[in-house]
Amino acid sequence: MTTPAQTLGGMGHSVKRKEDPRFLRGKGRYIDDIKLPGMIYMDIVRSPYAHAMITKIDASKALALPGVLAVITGKDLDAAGLAWMPTLMSDKQMVLPVDRVVYQAQEVAAVIATERYIAADAIQLVEVEYDPLPPVVDPFKALQPDSPLVRTDREQKTNHIWHWEAGDAAQTDAAFASAEVVVKEDLYIPRIHVCSIETCGCVASFDKVEGKLTIYMTTQAPHAIRTVYSLVTGIPENKIRVVSPDIGGGFGGKVPVYPGYVIASVASIQTGLPVKWIEDRSENIQADSFARDYHITAELAADKDGTMKALRVKTLADHGAFDAAANPSKFPAGLFSVVTGSYNLQAAHVEVDGVYTNKPSGGVAYRCSFRVTEAVHTIERMVDVLAQKLQVDPADLRMKNFIQPESFPYKSPTGWEYDSGNYPAALQKAMAKIGYADLRREQAEKRARGELMGIGISTFTEIVGAGPSHTFDILGIKMFDSCEIRVHPTGSAIVRIGVQTQGQGHETTFAQIVAEELGLPVENITVEHGDTDTAPYGLGTYASRSTPTAGAATAVAARKIREKGKNIAAHLLEANPDDIEWSDYKFQVKGAPGRSVTMKDIAFAAYTNFPQGMEGGLEAVDYYDPPNLTFPFGAYICVVDIDRGTGAVKIRRFLAVDDCGNIINPMIVEGQIHGGLTMGMAPALLEAITYDENGNMQQGTMMEYLLPTAMETPVWETDKTVTPSPHHPLGAKGVGESATVGAPPAIANAVVDALAHVGVTHIDIPMTPWKVYQLLEEHGLAEV
Amino acid sequence: MALHFEGTQQIKAPQEKVWQFVLDPNKVAECAPGFKSMEILADDHFKPTLAVGIGAVKATFTFDVQLEDVQPQTHAAMRGRGNAAGSAVDLKAAMDLKPVSESETTMDWTADVNVSGTIASVGARLLEGTARKLTAQFFDCFRQKLEAPEEARISEVQTPETPGT
Repeated sequence: MTTPAQTLGGMGHSVKRKEDPRFLRGKGRYIDDIKLPGMIYMDIVRSPYAHAMITKIDASKALALPGVLAVITGKDLDAAGLAWMPTLMSDKQMVLPVDRVVYQAQEVAAVIATERYIAADAIQLVEVEYDPLPPVVDPFKALQPDSPLVRTDREQKTNHIWHWEAGDAAQTDAAFASAEVVVKEDLYIPRIHVCSIETCGCVASFDKVEGKLTIYMTTQAPHAIRTVYSLVTGIPENKIRVVSPDIGGGFGGKVPVYPGYVIASVASIQTGLPVKWIEDRSENIQADSFARDYHITAELAADKDGTMKALRVKTLADHGAFDAAANPSKFPAGLFSVVTGSYNLQAAHVEVDGVYTNKPSGGVAYRCSFRVTEAVHTIERMVDVLAQKLQVDPADLRMKNFIQPESFPYKSPTGWEYDSGNYPAALQKAMAKIGYADLRREQAEKRARGELMGIGISTFTEIVGAGPSHTFDILGIKMFDSCEIRVHPTGSAIVRIGVQTQGQGHETTFAQIVAEELGLPVENITVEHGDTDTAPYGLGTYASRSTPTAGAATAVAARKIREKGKNIAAHLLEANPDDIEWSDYKFQVKGAPGRSVTMKDIAFAAYTNFPQGMEGGLEAVDYYDPPNLTFPFGAYICVVDIDRGTGAVKIRRFLAVDDCGNIINPMIVEGQIHGGLTMGMAPALLEAITYDENGNMQQGTMMEYLLPTAMETPVWETDKTVTPSPHHPLGAKGVGESATVGAPPAIANAVVDALAHVGVTHIDIPMTPWKVYQLLEEHGLAEV
Repeated sequence: MALHFEGTQQIKAPQEKVWQFVLDPNKVAECAPGFKSMEILADDHFKPTLAVGIGAVKATFTFDVQLEDVQPQTHAAMRGRGNAAGSAVDLKAAMDLKPVSESETTMDWTADVNVSGTIASVGARLLEGTARKLTAQFFDCFRQKLEAPEEARISEVQTPETPGT
C-alpha cells in the first residue's frame, strides 16, 4: 500500500530526480548553450613562463586579422582600475598583468573577435616579449631568504602569506611530555585539479540602454560574486545580474572568480555586445585554481595501552601566486583544525603557514568542506601509524579512543562543538558487514603464501554547513542561507533558494522538503536557483552547506506557511486556531479527525476566502543562520590486493557506512556517496599535479592527468547509520563530501597495511603502480 | 623542462665545405624541420620561423638566433629564443668540426633546450622523443645535402615535413 508520504514524495523517499529528464535528453542549458544575438567571442593569450617580465606586447598582427575587434591587455585594464581584483580570501589577484607574469598559463592578453575560431587564430598573432625570471616552485625553498619573490606588489617582501594556529600549544607540549609513545610522520597531500566535465566560462552581456550587466557564469556562488562585482566596478548591484544556469560540476573549482569572467565583462561593457568566453580543457587544467598541496608533519602521542593523548600538526600550504581560496574569512586554513577527528584527545595544536609560489592559485576546497580532506587524511593515517607502532589492530585502537555517543555535544581541543555522533556503532556495523575478522584471517594466510593483501579503515568526522554568522563570513558577508516559497492558489508552489545545484539534485531534494512540510505533491513544486535577480541572497553551494543552511531555511519557511495555514484552517473549519493541529499532512480539528482541510484547500482560500484582517496570499521567506555546523561521519573499510609484478593496487572491496543524519532522498545520497568515493579513490591511486623546475605544469591534458573512468572504479558497497543533527530543523547533516574526504585514508591505510609486515609505515598518495613497485623492490617483494 | 642533447656526426665532406654550409643560415634552414621563413638581420643574427608539432599540440615558433664564439673552420655556438602562443623555447647550442680525412669531417655538437608553457605541459611525455626524431631528420638532410654529388641540385633534396602532422 502506498502511504501518503510516498504519494507526496516527502522526506526519506527515493524520488527520481526532477532535473534528469532535461539532462538525459540533452536539453540542459549550460553556459556554452547560451547564444545571444550579436554575440562575440573571447580567447586568451597565456604565459609560457612561470615567472617573467613582460617587455612588449605587439597586437598589430592580431588586430589586422579580419574579424578581430580588440586586443585587451593589462595596461588597458589598469587605465580602468581593473588590472587587479580582490580574491575571496582578502588577497588581490591580477586580472591581466601590467608588466609581470607569476605562473605558467597566466592570462596575458585577451582577443575579442566575431567568431570563436578567429579569436583562437588571433591569439597566435599577439606577439609578447618576455624577460624570464627564476621561478620558485617549492614552498620550502620559497621561504628561504634567497628565494625569488613571487609577489613584488606586496609591502611584505616575503613569500610567506600568513601563519594560523588552533588549539593549545602548552597543553599539547605537556601531554606529549607525559606520553609513553610518540609517532611522527611527514605526509604530502599533492596538488590536484577538480576537472569538472564542464570547463569554466561565461557570457557577459551589457545592455547600454538599461546600463545593466548580465553575466551567465559557471559559478557556485552567484550572489557573492554580484556583490564583489558591484564593489569593484561601482556598478549599482541592481544593475548586475549573475545567472548560474545548469552547471556541469563545481566541486569547489567554480567558487573563485577567474580573470576571464572580468575581462569578458569589460569587453561587453566596451562593445555593448554579448561576449562569450569558454575555456578549453587544457586551459582549465593548467590555469584554474587547484586543491590540496599541503605538506604536513604530524605527531601523535599516546600511552602504551593505546590511549591517545595529543596531536601536533605543522603544515606548509602551497597557495600558488595568489591566495584565491574561498575560505571563510577567519579561516585561512579552512576547517583543517577538525584534524583531531573522531577521537577523544586531551590536547591538540595545529599550525599552518600559507606560502606563495609561481603556480596558479591553490586552496580550492575540492569536494570538501575547506581542508577537511587534508585533516581527515592526517588523523586517519596517524591512527594507523600508531596502531602499527603499538602492534594493535587499527579497529581496536579506534574503538578504544572514539568520542563516545554520550559525550555529544563534544567540545574538541581545537574549539569545535560536534553536534552528534555514534562512531562505535558505525564501525561495528561496517566490520560486521564486511566480515572483518574473516578478512584478517585471510590476510594472514595470504601473507604466509607471499601474497599482498591489505585492509584499511577510516572512521572520519566531517564538519560541514558553514555556517553560523558569529564565526563564518566571506569578505564580511555572513554565511547564512535562504529560501523563499510561494504557494499558488491551486496548490502548487515555487521555491527559490540561495544555493544552487551543480549536479547535487537540489531541484528534487528541496522540493521534497517542501512536500514533506506542506503536504503538497513533489511534482507540483518547482525549485528555482542560481539567478540573482530572482533568488533570495545566499552564499552558494560548496562545503556540503546546502542542506545544513538553505535546506534548514526551506523547512523553516515552509513552517511559516504552515503557521499561517493554521489560521486559515481555523477560519475554514470554524474552529479556534489553538484547536487546529497539523497531522498526517492535513490540518485537523483536535479530537475530530473527520474535520480537516489540506494545504491545497488552504492555498485556494489564501487567495479567495481568508479571514478579515489577514494578509492575502501564501508565501514565506527565511534567512537561516545555523546555530552550529553539522558533523556527518562514517566508517569505511577497504580491502586491496597488490600485484607484486606491477605494483598495481586493486581495490577488491570497499564498504562505506555513512551517517549524514536524517536523509531526504536515499537514492541521491547513495549517488553522492558513489561519486564521492570515486573522487576519493582518484587522488589515492591516480591523480597528482606536478611542476618541473621551470614551473611548467606537467599534466596539461587528460593523457597525463588520469581521471578515473568506469574501468578504474570498483564496485562500491554502501550502508548507513542515522544519528540526526539535534539543531537542524530536519535533523539532516549534509553528505556531498563525506566520501571524498573519508575514502583516501581508507585506501592508503589498506595499501600500507598490505606492506606493514616489512616495515612500511607510510606511503604518500597517489599510490601509483610505479611508486608501489619501487617499495616492493626496496623490500624484496617485487616479482620480476 | 630542460633537455640536453649531444651527438657526433660523421659527414663525408671536407671540413671547409661543412663549415660553409653550417654558417649559411639559408642552407641550414632548408634542413630545419617545419621551416617556414627566415629573416636575416645580420651575418650572425637570424629570425627563422618554424612550425612544430608535439603530439596534439601544434605551434609556430618565431626564433631569434644569435651566433656566438665563431672560430673559423672549427667552432661555432648559438643562442636563441623561440616564441609561440603560450609556449617558449630557450636554446643554447655549440658545435666543433674536426677533419677525419680530406673528404670526411666529424661534427661534435651539444644543445641545451629549455621548454616552457603549453608545449611543456601537454607534450612533456613526447618532447624528448620528438626532439630526437627531429634532430635525426635534420642531420639526415644535412648529410644528404653535403654528401650529394656537386651536380645535384639542392632543390631535389627533400626538406623534411613538419612532424606531428
